[in-house]
Amino acid sequence: MKKTVGSIVRHLVLAFLAVIWLVPILWLVVTSFSGYKGINTAHFFPETWSLNNYKALFFEPDSVVQYGAWFKNTLIIAIFTCIVSTSFVLMVSYTMSCLRFKGRKGLMSFGIILNMFPGVLSMIAVYFVMKSIGLTNSHLGMIIVYSAGAGLGYLITKGFMDTISTSLREAAWLEGASEATIFFKIIIPLSQPIIVYTIINSFLVPWGDFVLAKLMLNSGIATDWTIAIGLFNMLNKSLVNKYFSIFCAGGVIVSIPISALFVLMQKFYVEGVTGGSVKG
Amino acid sequence: MKNKKKLSGNYFKDFGTAVAKGDMGVKLSLLVMGAGYFARKQIINGLIMIALEIVFIMTCVFYAAPNLAKFGTLGTVQFEQVFDPLTMTSKVNDYDNSFLILLNSIIALFIIAVFILVYIGNIKAVYRLQVRKEAGKHINTFREDIRALFNEKFHITLLTLPCLGIILMNIIPILVLVAVAFTNYDQQHMPPSALFTWVGWKNFKQLFTNSTTVTFGYSFGKILIWTLEWALLATLTTFIGGILMAQFINNKKTKLPKLWRTLFMVAIAVPQFVTLLLVRNFFADSGIVNTICSNIGLTDFLKSIGLVNSNLTYIPFLTNPTWAKVMIVLINIWVGVPYQMLIATGVLMNIPVDQLESARIDGANSFQIFWKITMPYVLFITGPSLITDFVKNINNFNVIYLLTQDVYVTSDQLLANSNAKEVDLLVTWLFRLTNEYYNYKIASVIGILVFIICAAFTLITFTQTIKGNREEDFR
Amino acid sequence: MKKKVLAAVLATSMVAASLVGCGNEAGGDTSADNSTAATDNSAATTDNSAAATDNSAAADNSAAADNSASSDDPVANLIAATTDTVKLTVWASEEDQTLTTQLLEDFKAAYPDVTFDITLGSESESTAKDTILTDVEAAADVFAFADDQINELVQAGALQPVAATYTYDVAGANAAGAVEAATVNGTLYAYPMTADNGYFMFYDASVFSEDDVKSLEKMVEVAEAAGKKIAMDVSNGWYIYAFFQGAGYELTLNDDGSNNCTWNAAGATDVAQAIMDLFGSNVLVDMGDEEMATAIAEGTVVAAVNGTWRAETASDAWGENYAATKLPTFNVAGKDCQMSSYSGYKLIGVNPYSANVGWSMLLAEFLTNEAAQTARFEARGLGPANTAAAASDAVQADPAISALAAQAAYATPQRVGGNFWAPAETLGQILADGSAGSDLQGVLDTAVEGIMAPIE
Repeated sequence: MKKTVGSIVRHLVLAFLAVIWLVPILWLVVTSFSGYKGINTAHFFPETWSLNNYKALFFEPDSVVQYGAWFKNTLIIAIFTCIVSTSFVLMVSYTMSCLRFKGRKGLMSFGIILNMFPGVLSMIAVYFVMKSIGLTNSHLGMIIVYSAGAGLGYLITKGFMDTISTSLREAAWLEGASEATIFFKIIIPLSQPIIVYTIINSFLVPWGDFVLAKLMLNSGIATDWTIAIGLFNMLNKSLVNKYFSIFCAGGVIVSIPISALFVLMQKFYVEGVTGGSVKG
Repeated sequence: MKNKKKLSGNYFKDFGTAVAKGDMGVKLSLLVMGAGYFARKQIINGLIMIALEIVFIMTCVFYAAPNLAKFGTLGTVQFEQVFDPLTMTSKVNDYDNSFLILLNSIIALFIIAVFILVYIGNIKAVYRLQVRKEAGKHINTFREDIRALFNEKFHITLLTLPCLGIILMNIIPILVLVAVAFTNYDQQHMPPSALFTWVGWKNFKQLFTNSTTVTFGYSFGKILIWTLEWALLATLTTFIGGILMAQFINNKKTKLPKLWRTLFMVAIAVPQFVTLLLVRNFFADSGIVNTICSNIGLTDFLKSIGLVNSNLTYIPFLTNPTWAKVMIVLINIWVGVPYQMLIATGVLMNIPVDQLESARIDGANSFQIFWKITMPYVLFITGPSLITDFVKNINNFNVIYLLTQDVYVTSDQLLANSNAKEVDLLVTWLFRLTNEYYNYKIASVIGILVFIICAAFTLITFTQTIKGNREEDFR
Repeated sequence: MKKKVLAAVLATSMVAASLVGCGNEAGGDTSADNSTAATDNSAATTDNSAAATDNSAAADNSAAADNSASSDDPVANLIAATTDTVKLTVWASEEDQTLTTQLLEDFKAAYPDVTFDITLGSESESTAKDTILTDVEAAADVFAFADDQINELVQAGALQPVAATYTYDVAGANAAGAVEAATVNGTLYAYPMTADNGYFMFYDASVFSEDDVKSLEKMVEVAEAAGKKIAMDVSNGWYIYAFFQGAGYELTLNDDGSNNCTWNAAGATDVAQAIMDLFGSNVLVDMGDEEMATAIAEGTVVAAVNGTWRAETASDAWGENYAATKLPTFNVAGKDCQMSSYSGYKLIGVNPYSANVGWSMLLAEFLTNEAAQTARFEARGLGPANTAAAASDAVQADPAISALAAQAAYATPQRVGGNFWAPAETLGQILADGSAGSDLQGVLDTAVEGIMAPIE
């Protein structure tokens, strides 16, 4: 008897928490189906339901909503950012974790400290660096901006690689394998969870960043934007009352690929992050 | 420190020895960088070095020299334009852009510094070759040199590209902004139409002096305190919340743990900026939550117990300093706990089961087990990452900016006079200073101070990890 | 085909030029007639031909290189000198895209001999400054902005002075206030586009009578009786100005970009007290623009201080009871003072760093001429700055625009330095939420010190 009461209480608490976590998301979803375009402040559920917001996203592009183009831009940038970032992170992590050379520890501390500098400040200088090589308002420029500094985020991956036993490498070494072979044939396959973790994290960057993207993509042409700038722009003072529910619809759509990624990779993600943070 | 001096001493001593004892090839290398290699018949290496030298000299003449010449003043020729109404064209003079001069000079200085290192390294390398030759040892062919890059010099191969990226996107921008802290780059001195110049430590002094018109010092103190409070609260609450939630869900008595976990994960799947902007409207003064609270009488209740100012008709969730700070921390829990739960789940799965069992046999209840065994274990595993999170939270731009921008109006006049708000973190403040007020000089000074604070915290933790030999312990 | 036409144009204008060279001052007309394009526009050029002729002697020398002809019709010169595709970027607000696209097509059609490649981007007029100032060189060639940004834009060198006009007389055709708003230190820097960016009072005529809306205190009384609210975004420097300026306290801009402000002078505490009393009633409420839109739509707010951009919201919500008028009076220590306001205009500017300054100026003129301003009113209900366009019956009949016109007598152009906004915003906030405490003089002193903070 006591057990069942405990169990009920336990599940009630969980249900209560789940409600708290889901209410804003629910609001997002129901507002995306609202017939009223502005912010609904009087009712939680919309008074009129409609699919027009989704229709506007995909079939009625105007100067404010270019969702198809944004999605394409963001996807392209995200895929390449993800490839470059992940390679960079792996390269640096392997070097710092498995190779021994003069100045290694110095470089590591330097990298960690460098990573502390507030990015929002150096943004303007990054912009002018990119402008002087003519890469503002381009996909390539965005990919470089998002991935070039990725090597600094090596810490967790390095922590993971530190846990890979040295004996494996030594055995390969004795058989005459070069360091490059060891890197590609032994370390990379063994680091699968942390690679997935890195891939997810770097893939997500372009979907969530609006500050840097807004600075770099300053042509004012909506088709050049990424999803984040586009959605952020809809909440501009002069637009919010006409576009809030479309913003919600856009938010719902953008979550779909990300959730899919999470669900598919959940297992690796957990393994990767815990393996890596063991050593910090 | 002593060690370093010795090291750098050796560095130049080696160079001296190389120059003094080198043969013709080495000495000629001082002038023509490839010479030493040609002398040892390493033709390709030699050619590469000569090409490098030529490229460097060209860079110096056409890029570095014109920029560095103006580095001292950051430009003297102001933008001028003459419009001819008849041809409808305008003539623009050959004006200086202070920011580009600064940027290019720093890149140039960087190139020169790197070249000097390469230059010294080159002399030493050809001297080593000479020594090897004299000792009758084998001298690598070009192919062997290449192969070495995939073996004992593999680190060079791997690090080249990432380092280039970091130099381009991190080091050079940081150096530029550090330099800006010593200039008067603000809205009155904005390139390309106006010039800015060096002013020394003036901006630092301005940040630490106080008057009613210049309140940067006052604001800096207030915002620094809130930044640290926030970082501490945000880190601890999400960390503990994540562990508790993971523990709760993973408990054997909980049915369908996967379902519950997925429910909470939904909150992560929506990008942060979407949820935060949404929540901002959710809790707006005349937003949906306020409507509901006022309908169920919560607003009046809070008024009657004095938590809400009696002349308000709404709960100032994001517009009153105290309410806003509490709400920001709560919303951050909402955003951050599912992530932490994910991590904690992984950690908890690896808890040594025998310890738990033996504790249970000894008669410990589940609370005792949690505090005596689970917590210490989790802390041991994730402790270092707590500091990383702490530093990340100091720089947590998104949460604060998205929740309070355009919504929160400060009622502290001294803060307002330096464009700050109670809920600002140092980073959001400096973002506003640059983005809305173009006050790059003060923003740079703040940026440097944030950097120093974060670096201090990080160094304290990581010195143990890196300097010690902990990395080898777990293998 | 195109090339042939161009050659013909070149040849004819060469001939014209040689005629001018012989001292035929009136030759300009001939050349204009000969040049196939711009004929329909050239008539209006006369106003400025004086300015142009002054330079005609120099024109022969300055005619850039081989293919440009010189005549005293600058537009013909420009067409003749243009051989490549003219690449232009235009920034207009999101709401203005459809109309601007149409106008751009018309512009291209007006100059059939020139190939244009015009890109239209969207940039809200109210935030144009932020994007432009970050990197002037990367900003659009022609952009729309609100007149409050003109000082900062001029200071940053982001506006090409309107040194000469070609297709219509910008200074003469637009309302004096609009031209004043586009002028800084005696130089005209921009082309007025609309004259409706100021604020006034919207109200629901089923709640208020025409007499009620003359005094803010009366309005509060009536609204309270009806159980409704009146909204004003007083925690915003732009709006709080209405009270202090209305009561006779000054805010002016100094040459160096700092402000001069007397909001803490003797008696100013009465104004602050009046604001506190009004907002303390909880009938007049401090509300941001977006919230106000929702509150009007839902019927909780029955009167609002706002601008033409909310006209649609208000007329949708109140139907035939939708009305607008000048701002009411408010009571300062027993004396009724008429609330003042900022008059607001939207302007079009040309980027001095543009590669095609000439074409940009022509385009800016095209986007702001009488026809364009009329089209803008018809499409979007925006009040024209052009006096001829504004005189039309349709414009006169628009309640919002006539309310603005009534308010115009009490409005001043916005001349204020950047240090004003943050302290004024906070001043509004603490007066509205009643947290100012008893030391009103101290509050005002601090605010004024912030507003008047020196600029180095």
